Amino acid sequence: MDAILPVLLFVAIAAAVSVGLVTVSGLIGPRRSGAVKAMPYESGMDPLHDTRRRFDVRFHLVAITFLVFDVELLFLYPWAVASRSPAGVDAAVAGGIVASRGLVFAGAMVFLSLVVVGFAYDWRKGVFRWR
Amino acid sequence: MTTLLPSPTTLAALAKIGLLVGGLMTAAAYLVLLERWIAAWVQDRRGPNRVGIPLTKIRLFGLGQPLADGLKIILKEDFTPQHVDKVLYTAAPLVILAASLAIFAAIPFGSVLPPLNIPGLPDPVPFLVAPGLDVGVLWVFALSSIAVYGVLLGGWASNSKYSFLGGLRSSAQLLAYEIPLGLGLLGVVLAAGSLKLDAIMNAQAESGIWYVFAQPLGFLVFMVASFAEAARLPFDLPEAEQELVGGYHTEYSGIRLLLFLVAEFLHMITAAFLIVILFLGGWHLWGVTGSGQEVTWLGAALRCGVLSAKILAVIVFFMLVRWSWPRFRFDQLMNLAWKVMLPLGIANLVVVATVEEFRPQLLASLGAGWAQGAALAAPWAVFFIGWIGAGLLTPSGTDNRPILTRSPLDAEHGLLTNTSRDWEKAVR
Repeated sequence: MDAILPVLLFVAIAAAVSVGLVTVSGLIGPRRSGAVKAMPYESGMDPLHDTRRRFDVRFHLVAITFLVFDVELLFLYPWAVASRSPAGVDAAVAGGIVASRGLVFAGAMVFLSLVVVGFAYDWRKGVFRWR
Repeated sequence: MTTLLPSPTTLAALAKIGLLVGGLMTAAAYLVLLERWIAAWVQDRRGPNRVGIPLTKIRLFGLGQPLADGLKIILKEDFTPQHVDKVLYTAAPLVILAASLAIFAAIPFGSVLPPLNIPGLPDPVPFLVAPGLDVGVLWVFALSSIAVYGVLLGGWASNSKYSFLGGLRSSAQLLAYEIPLGLGLLGVVLAAGSLKLDAIMNAQAESGIWYVFAQPLGFLVFMVASFAEAARLPFDLPEAEQELVGGYHTEYSGIRLLLFLVAEFLHMITAAFLIVILFLGGWHLWGVTGSGQEVTWLGAALRCGVLSAKILAVIVFFMLVRWSWPRFRFDQLMNLAWKVMLPLGIANLVVVATVEEFRPQLLASLGAGWAQGAALAAPWAVFFIGWIGAGLLTPSGTDNRPILTRSPLDAEHGLLTNTSRDWEKAVR
């Protein structure tokens, strides 16, 4: 709790600052509306049709690929932190939890090479081809 | 007896939060002025130099400009167009500003204070709002991802085509560059053995070798990715003025537009902080700041000064790049993220992991000096090989010919004529 309390305070104050700014401006600013002012801005043209139509599937592909690689990166963080910190891999080896440092390193490298295989497959399949 | 007064730790945290929020909002306002000055200097014209103290003739080189701008925007109408999704439209700027401010809970802005000897407050007091937070870097990344939501919500809720396109581009760009950003970071975390940003600075100060020297490729990947994450030129496609008017904030005006713009500058400040803390040694400067945890008042001030000077230098670099580079095309942007930065990031991670893993063996067989040399030479070799390789393998970066493709709907719409087929053949 001691560790997280300042963080919560900061989030609360940051939210209060943003809400406060908008509230103050809403209270003291003028209010004038009009039919043209309320239209979507399209460089002076009348809007043609609805905005929310189908859009390019490539954005979807980027999102999916991102999800895969980002989660794979997240799996690497614990290893990266533990690799050289005193309470990490060395302590685990000394305590007999892991056979040797080399095993951990080899495991991480095998995992990374699997990521690379997936990456090469995606590239070959044209996921990254943006035209 | 318990008192109603908050504990000294909470009070210290509140003081630091107040300092940070005030400082950051002011910094964002004055960085706008600095950016306009630099733009004027690059383009050989006079920038904003007239606004000084009101009702007098004192101009102060235009230092009154940010205050005047801020006041003007607060006094303007807070307008909500009719066609928008009201709840999301209001929430988007609040989310983005709150998230980009709260990032700084885990970012240190100096080293430590000398012992204060206040009962209830553990000494030394660090220049960091949440010193107990073990996952500092992850907090920074989580909140910068939440800022993506602000952009996406704003673009979607505006229900305008420019905003929609800006929001789409922006989310794709921020997602694509988050992976190289994470890869560049992993190397640093691996070498420092901690996710706390202050521990990472201390590790660099102790060894005296900043990670920019030990992991040049990681620095390159991280810096390019953080330019993209901050949506600064040459990666400012989300709000490319010539194509999209204002991108995701086209429909915003008044104070909510200000929140978006301030958040954007905060992203740049965050990026500069991260580059300096992770790769440029943080508060450490050889022969000036020392490297231990015991400081005098002068030393603490000096370390804050060194950190701020480095951050300002990186920000000025950001601004000079903005006024010297043209914008990328979207396919170039995506190619750079997936086909160049991601492989380079993985190469950096592998070489850093290998060097760190076999450092004891190197020390045992070569002796301290040679081992250190070998540990530095390997990443630099990979840096140059990667740089040259990426340059040789991506000729498409300069290929500006249009690439014609056949979309399934082309025939339906009568677009697939003989001429376009011929053109396609000729282009291939």
